[in-house]
Amino acid sequence: MEINSNLKRVLDSKKFAVTAEIGPPPSVDSKIIKKKANMLKGYIDAFNVTDGQTAVVRMASWATCLIAKEEGLEPIVQMTTRDRNRIALQMDILGIAALGIKNILCLTGDHISFGNHPKAKGVWDIDSIQFIRIVKDMRDNKQFESGDKMDVAPELFIGAAANPFADPFEMRIKRLSKKIKQGVDFIQTQCIFNINKFKEWMEKIRDLGLHEKVKILGGVTPIKSIGAAKYMKNKVPGMDVPDSIIERLSKVPKEKVSEEGIKIAIETIQQLKEIEGVYGTHIMAIEWEEMVPEIVKSAGLYPRP
Amino acid sequence: MMGQAQKPMPEILESLEGKEKVVIMGCGGCSTVFHTGGVEEVDIMEEILVKEGKDVKKITLPFAVFACYKPFSSMFIEKHKKDFKNCDAVLMMSCGDGLQTVRQILDEDMDIVKPFYPAINAMGVSGGGPSKFMEKCQACGECVMGRTAGICPLTECAKGLLNGPCGGTRTDGKCEVDPEKDCAWYLIYERLKKIGQYENIDNFNEPHDWSKSVTPRIFEREPLDIHKHLARTKKVIESLGI
Ligand code: SF4
Ligand code: SF4
Repeated sequence: MEINSNLKRVLDSKKFAVTAEIGPPPSVDSKIIKKKANMLKGYIDAFNVTDGQTAVVRMASWATCLIAKEEGLEPIVQMTTRDRNRIALQMDILGIAALGIKNILCLTGDHISFGNHPKAKGVWDIDSIQFIRIVKDMRDNKQFESGDKMDVAPELFIGAAANPFADPFEMRIKRLSKKIKQGVDFIQTQCIFNINKFKEWMEKIRDLGLHEKVKILGGVTPIKSIGAAKYMKNKVPGMDVPDSIIERLSKVPKEKVSEEGIKIAIETIQQLKEIEGVYGTHIMAIEWEEMVPEIVKSAGLYPRP
Repeated sequence: MMGQAQKPMPEILESLEGKEKVVIMGCGGCSTVFHTGGVEEVDIMEEILVKEGKDVKKITLPFAVFACYKPFSSMFIEKHKKDFKNCDAVLMMSCGDGLQTVRQILDEDMDIVKPFYPAINAMGVSGGGPSKFMEKCQACGECVMGRTAGICPLTECAKGLLNGPCGGTRTDGKCEVDPEKDCAWYLIYERLKKIGQYENIDNFNEPHDWSKSVTPRIFEREPLDIHKHLARTKKVIESLGI
């Protein structure tokens, strides 16, 4: 199927792709979405919108995507299997595809116990790998999970997440190859702070030839403060923030910490550009979207193709 | 067994407010193992309710006599028919299965219709003991453990993932949700290696067939010859010198 996705176009042209994350508002405030979208316009190839990240209620990813899309940006809708069963997910896929969204990121989702509605019931009727297969079947075989057929299939570029840092390391490669086997087109990784471990992961991926089967975008998060770095290190499961990063931030005067955080992010992107098999970067500037243009420019990725 | 814990006493008392004559019934099965409805617990409950000024009749089931098995519980209910008839409420010290089995016997076989209150919360199919238990099975009706090294991912993984682990596994192999618990998929991975089925980790597990657990599931079985089985148990116990 011909997929008319800008992200796919950039990746296929072998240009280093740039995506960034927009956090949706915990309200109906569409102005803030438009503001964030306009900040990013021209600096990225596509933007993600998180889907109830950390299990906190915010505007739905698909709705935020559509609002920001009006500003002329290309959305990547994120969908987790935490809140919807296979029926709801497939209905939403038909809807988003009909409304012109071309990219989807299939996720399992953060556990409910982390969020602001800890009494809610988790769904997890399916997991992210099964979800990838369902979207691919819908797209390529015009087939629902039930086996029923449809007339017009959703035109979607299928993405998923990968965490090179969670344990067991070997299992992380296996999970990625499972995702590839089920039909994932692109991968956005967990935030990379431990670049050496990421390089090790990429080496294993190249050994297996997986880098030729999927487009990997390395995740980058600029650190705002030492507190944020320590929080990510100690409190966010699956995050790997080496002590060297915290030391580096501790060495600069307090008012320069965020500047240093941006510098680290830019350096990380520059290193990512040199790694064989890395096709782009995904910038997750959490509640700090205004820094994305500077990061993109300083990393030598502006203007966008 | 059905894991369980007693409800907080204030909640129990609140549910019995205005009920003067109360029948308490325990269970000799799981509720005895979990100390929620054994002989001792029923005695304690009786004492508390009497102190609260209630007129209490109690029914205790000896060990291994399950409240949820009609042939067992109906024998005891039959003996206390009068108490049930006269009471304002029944406080059931068993899981929800026991409560409903007893309620049904009264409703349908004896035409005694009374309000029932649970004294405990059931917490899932759990194994282990004598003191530490863990939920092990969701009774999903479609067991997958042949593919997952004898570890149930639907229960032991906080997200019930069939193609895990998720991206949150901690560096020490613990679950992202609870640093005290092992990540189920970490355990599955390690155990598959040990039993020589490491390649299973590459297999794609299809979406689960939840149609097998549409509730309530109803089945029919040949009735058990209780006397034969009890005699057999007695023999085995004697031969083991217990
Ligand atoms: S797969 Fe189903 S039946 Fe088997 S242990 Fe898990 S919940 Fe129980
Ligand atoms: S860490 Fe492991 S057990 Fe916990 S939710 Fe993730 S996959 Fe499941």
